[in-house]
Amino acid sequence: MADFDTQIQESQKQVAEAQVKISAITSRIEAARAKLAIGESAVDIENATLEDVKVHTDLMNANIAELIMGLDDVTAGFSAEFAEMRSKTGWETFVGVFSTTRSESLRQERMRTASVDDKLQDLIGKSDVIVRLLQGQLDLLNVQKSKVEVNLGDTLTEREGAVSALEAGRAEITAMDPKIIELETKISVEQDAVARTKLESDLAAMNAKYNALIQDEQVQLAKSQTLERYIEKGKTWVDSLTNQAATQLVLINKLQTDTKQRVVLYDALSSSLKTARQQDVAHRINEIGVKTDQEAQVAMAAIGTATNDKMADMLESHEANMVYARKVLEDKAKADERFARRFAAIVEKHDKNAYGE
Amino acid sequence: MGPELKEQLVTDHAELYDTATARRYFAKFDRITGHLAQVAGEIENENRLSRTEARILGRYLAGLTASFRALSQKYLMSDLSEGAPRLTFDRHESGFPVAQELMAMAVDAAQTDKHLQGMASEAELKDRMVRQIVRDLTPPTQLQFALSQRLYYEALAMGGLFLTRNDPDVQWIEDVQRDGATRRHFLIHWAVFDTQTNLPVVYLLDVEDSGKKPLPKDDRRWPLVSQGIMAQSVSGLKLLTIATGFDKDFAALHPKRLRRITLGPMHSQDFTLQSGPISEVLKAANAPDSEDWALVWTVEDLVSDREKEVKSGWFSTANRQIWKLNALDGADTGATRTEQMVILPEKVFQAMVEVKAPGLAKIRKFVVGEGGRILPAI
Repeated sequence: MADFDTQIQESQKQVAEAQVKISAITSRIEAARAKLAIGESAVDIENATLEDVKVHTDLMNANIAELIMGLDDVTAGFSAEFAEMRSKTGWETFVGVFSTTRSESLRQERMRTASVDDKLQDLIGKSDVIVRLLQGQLDLLNVQKSKVEVNLGDTLTEREGAVSALEAGRAEITAMDPKIIELETKISVEQDAVARTKLESDLAAMNAKYNALIQDEQVQLAKSQTLERYIEKGKTWVDSLTNQAATQLVLINKLQTDTKQRVVLYDALSSSLKTARQQDVAHRINEIGVKTDQEAQVAMAAIGTATNDKMADMLESHEANMVYARKVLEDKAKADERFARRFAAIVEKHDKNAYGE
Repeated sequence: MGPELKEQLVTDHAELYDTATARRYFAKFDRITGHLAQVAGEIENENRLSRTEARILGRYLAGLTASFRALSQKYLMSDLSEGAPRLTFDRHESGFPVAQELMAMAVDAAQTDKHLQGMASEAELKDRMVRQIVRDLTPPTQLQFALSQRLYYEALAMGGLFLTRNDPDVQWIEDVQRDGATRRHFLIHWAVFDTQTNLPVVYLLDVEDSGKKPLPKDDRRWPLVSQGIMAQSVSGLKLLTIATGFDKDFAALHPKRLRRITLGPMHSQDFTLQSGPISEVLKAANAPDSEDWALVWTVEDLVSDREKEVKSGWFSTANRQIWKLNALDGADTGATRTEQMVILPEKVFQAMVEVKAPGLAKIRKFVVGEGGRILPAI
């Protein structure tokens, strides 16, 4: 399974890289927030950086999806095992040329020691490794998301403050306009030089205040715009994090459902092969004794059908419970659908070059 | 082997979605496993289990309790934390967690050290919880989840668990004389969590050993014996099949008695789906949560009738057992006798007597009376 291990390592590396990048963006957002707090207006989160992370996480998820599909190849080992349980080995066939009984007894012996337990355990272990990888990524995403969300909340409040300050300033400016016009009118009709000088200095003071207010408005406007840009970037980031988290959940869901069903299927197949092959023979052997010669051959002929019957019985008994199964099936369908939607391209690629084409 | 079969095989698996239900489920099992040990004691008093056998059975029951405790820690926070795992159990003819739960537990148990090293200590986690509650005024669900996982791994680290495969162990019982030769009588015992029925199963095998070296010390035979019987521990196989195969595979070992004790299924109105009379009984009893259960316990027993010398090759002979089969249904059950017992609380027993289901008449009943005392019903 060297292949699986290398793939896992590759994915682990990519996850680590993605996590560094994701954390870096969050800390940049936080740094920008700190700068805003001391009045600097630089928001240095470029769209390119976000793009870069997106490209990287897409690559990472594609890799993990492939890893999940790759478990199929890991499980190919099972079919070899089942094929062995169904047919005779070369040696058994060879012995069969001289003695059918001996050949059959060899095979029975092999059947008695056959077990897929280790392989099942291996499958569960491997799937667990991938789930943990995904879960780690999901946890990180959630932590980052909540950090940025808190940050955004504060910023939104601050922006509300900036906007209302801006509006208050604007209202004051609007209120000043008629006063200035009134003063200007007064000046234009005033004949007395002293009074006129007084009025003119009033106007100058008022103009100075007006200009100060205008300047203040510009500052507030700039601040509000910076905050707005910051919020926009932050929101994009939260969206992206949410989206990534959803992807992780889809992957986890798909993998867990698949593994569950696989283990049950393989186990059922292996025990039914074992049971059907042995049971009948053992019964005829007892008491009639160890004179299996003819008996065994008769029994063996019947076993092919026994295997089929056993499977059919199993299916029938499960059919009775189908009503309760709806939930499980729905879940599975949903998981499959979501998986397919997100990873259509990979699935297609995998299907095309499956089994070493 | 289309996807339909794959899906149908898991139709009777159910997930416990919310925490309260998961906790109730485990509380139920905690009570039941406690009573199992009492019943084992009761059977020992009736001289139907030797002291050694009762002790062995007790060890497996303790393992089962430990495994359930560990699982209950693992699923303590089922729905409270995102991504927290959920327990899957088989709700038809089992009531126990599916075998995969125990397989996954074995995977976890193999890496407890790694996990525990990377985790904050219990005191630290609790300290952080208090700080989060006081400072942020939010419930510390993630920390609670982390703590539940820590407790889970600690429980695994303690060991003594019942796993999907509990490899065989040998106990010397006595030396016996047969045809002028001395044979050693061993009791081999092992247990599996059956993957097909999702039930814990304990096997007890009495063998006589005519080999030169005693079986447990024989490096040639013991690993083969051990591997062989584990691979044959499938509930679909009749005892007769297992015993005959064993007899054939190991020339110097003479199996004399094979017992299979299946613990379960557990029936409960709330959790499981049952067909047949037990479903009516539970419905009629309408018992409160703590008394809404019945646990069936099946003992299959196959005893050797006599030994016969047969030709095993052109120049060699071997001793083979001829097994005593029940005259009535031996051909179907592949056992000398099969006995079913059921452990149930008083209220359910009352209902059972009232319902008078004919199918339940033959089953031996153990009633859990007041104060948790076990009363064998007549």
